[in-house]
Amino acid sequence: MRLLKPGKAQTGLPEEKRYASLYRWNYESRLAYLFLIPSILLMLLFLVFPLFSGIIMSLQESTFAGEVNFVGLKNFRLLLREARFLNNLKLSITYVLGNLSLSIPLAYIAALIITSQDLRGLPLFRGVFLLPFITAPVVSSVIFLSLTDASSGPVTLFIERITGERPVILATPSLAMGTIIFHSFWRSFPFVMLFLAAGMTTIPNELYEAAKVDGATGWHLFRFITFPLTRIHLALSMLIITMWTLQDAETVFALTRGGPGYSTEVLAVRLFKDSFINFNLNLGATVGVILLSISLLFMVAYLRLMQER
Amino acid sequence: MRKSLLIGLLLLCLVASAASAQVTIRVAHFYDPAAGPAHQMNLRWLEKVKEGFEAANPDIKVEFEWIKWDELDLKSLRDFRAGISHDVIYTSPQYYGLHSVAKDLLDLSPYIEKWPKEVLEDFTWSAVWSSAFPWGIPLGIHTRTIVYRRDLYEKVGLNPDKTPENLEELVEYSKKLTQDVDGDGKTDIYGLGMYFGPSRATIELYFAPYLWHFDGELWDKETKKATFASEAGIKAAQFLFDLIYTHKVTPEWSMSGTYDDVILLSFLGEKIAQAEGYGSYWIGPLEEKGWIKGLFPPTPEGQAIVADVYPTPTKYKAQFTNAWNISIHALSKHPDESFKFIEYMIQPDLLYEYPDAGLPVRLSLWERPEFKTPFYQKWQVAARNGRPMPPTAHYGDLADTVAACLQEIFAAKAPIPETLKKFEDEYNSKFAGE
Repeated sequence: MRLLKPGKAQTGLPEEKRYASLYRWNYESRLAYLFLIPSILLMLLFLVFPLFSGIIMSLQESTFAGEVNFVGLKNFRLLLREARFLNNLKLSITYVLGNLSLSIPLAYIAALIITSQDLRGLPLFRGVFLLPFITAPVVSSVIFLSLTDASSGPVTLFIERITGERPVILATPSLAMGTIIFHSFWRSFPFVMLFLAAGMTTIPNELYEAAKVDGATGWHLFRFITFPLTRIHLALSMLIITMWTLQDAETVFALTRGGPGYSTEVLAVRLFKDSFINFNLNLGATVGVILLSISLLFMVAYLRLMQER
Repeated sequence: MRKSLLIGLLLLCLVASAASAQVTIRVAHFYDPAAGPAHQMNLRWLEKVKEGFEAANPDIKVEFEWIKWDELDLKSLRDFRAGISHDVIYTSPQYYGLHSVAKDLLDLSPYIEKWPKEVLEDFTWSAVWSSAFPWGIPLGIHTRTIVYRRDLYEKVGLNPDKTPENLEELVEYSKKLTQDVDGDGKTDIYGLGMYFGPSRATIELYFAPYLWHFDGELWDKETKKATFASEAGIKAAQFLFDLIYTHKVTPEWSMSGTYDDVILLSFLGEKIAQAEGYGSYWIGPLEEKGWIKGLFPPTPEGQAIVADVYPTPTKYKAQFTNAWNISIHALSKHPDESFKFIEYMIQPDLLYEYPDAGLPVRLSLWERPEFKTPFYQKWQVAARNGRPMPPTAHYGDLADTVAACLQEIFAAKAPIPETLKKFEDEYNSKFAGE
């Protein structure tokens, strides 16, 4: 309404033309908002409402008989005092860092290789590399289960040949966690590599040529051109991999169900067990809220990394 | 013209009212035709029950609905909360603690009270009944024994007709049966297969029986607290630990994989000479392998040839039994018709043909000559020796806690008393008093 109110001309446009322009702006913007309403409503329904509902559930305690009571932060206190939960937290961080520290540097190196050299059959390799990424997580978990099978798995037999001992990979806490991280790396690597390679191909060749004329070495080219200009891709891929890994319950559950003991029970698996297997919905929601908070922390950190010049 | 139109309308009204008088009940089960021949066999049986029931009760129509087997109980509860009704539904007795609090299943007592005494007594001989009543009616008996290879017994100088009668003998036999066949210094056949993976089989078939044997309890009914870290719990965990690391008769890989892989497939694959926790639902694969003859389906001439079974030599009533039960959802709009269907379903002749029954739940069926063979008599001893899991509403958490605890003890060689206490305290901090 305020926009339609006639006022003192400030733009130097003739009065009639200005009114027409204001009217058009107002009409078009209102129309645009009108078109946005369905998406906003859907977002409220499917994103904001479940989010708040989850937060509210984390502050409640419900009985199997259906009674629901508000208990404030009791669920959070209960979890934070629990050694199992602190272990879940530690394992989630280990899982994320393990996957990042394997997939990001190796994928970066691979991306540098495939973008800087004219390798024969590269398109074919790109397709082959994508196979782990497009394989359903549960399917790839089953493949890893058979690879690490205690009596006939090829990886088990290979380790036995080297060490003389036949390990029970998925029943040994450190090896089980290592397998989970490696599986995740195997799945993430192709995506990160192609994402980074796509970023590298957008760097104009002229920059490299000019630097070479100025006597820049290979290291200088990487240090002052490639790395700064792919930092945004790097941060984005780190963000995506972090979110995937942090929220990954299906592959961990399929591989070890969080065992042996709780030695591979990451937060997402704990959430899944609490909410969907044992029906402790309030505890599950509390784990969910904590998981969301950790995801937000990572997200802010990566966004800041992207914004840094 | 007007007259015929009127008659037509009248007929239409009659048909419509007849259709509306017909009641439809929904039966929720878990048999998936895509999940293999066993599921298909059970589905065929259900179809047969449906056809027979509908023919006998033309005013009741039966529709099937499918729910994944490990989702049935929780779906019943979730749908009850959401106001979604079911009629007849398969349920597990392990969840009856939860159902009794949630009240999502109908109390069947008023119906069962009307049964003649002889029908009631036909069911109540088994421990499965006590765990099912009043929320469900058992359709069979799932109990477990130790399955063993008669040929391997003979090979190591043991009498295949004289099986272990106590735990000391069990260990002694298992040591003799553990063999390095190719002489490379590594065990090729283990004497006693057990499963300690992250599944409910661990508490039900491998920890609780020994805890009960040493006079302990998993959970206290009065205080509603977990009590598995008792002296008996320590003895049970120590016994199991020794089987793996001291006597080396149980493979370390018992902690990984699935119950089916470690017990059924390893026994059939000749990696273990004896397997504890062998279910009555796995008699068929022994027949398929040719290790027993005429025992699945049971015949009076049935014989154990290569494989045989014996009840686990623990104390009386120290073994777990359960079954698939059939219940009525509390929101059912047709409870009377649903119970009518259940009564039809549990007729002895129909239950006899139910492939997933495991063993007959009706005592009268055991009188048939095909169940009088030595093989089935041993199963009956095991079934009589059974008891249910404790009626806690948090049974799933209790089972997960015990499995995780044992895994930590075995995988990390953690001190037994302290580890049991740590896990028990953690469970009780959340669920004590329910």
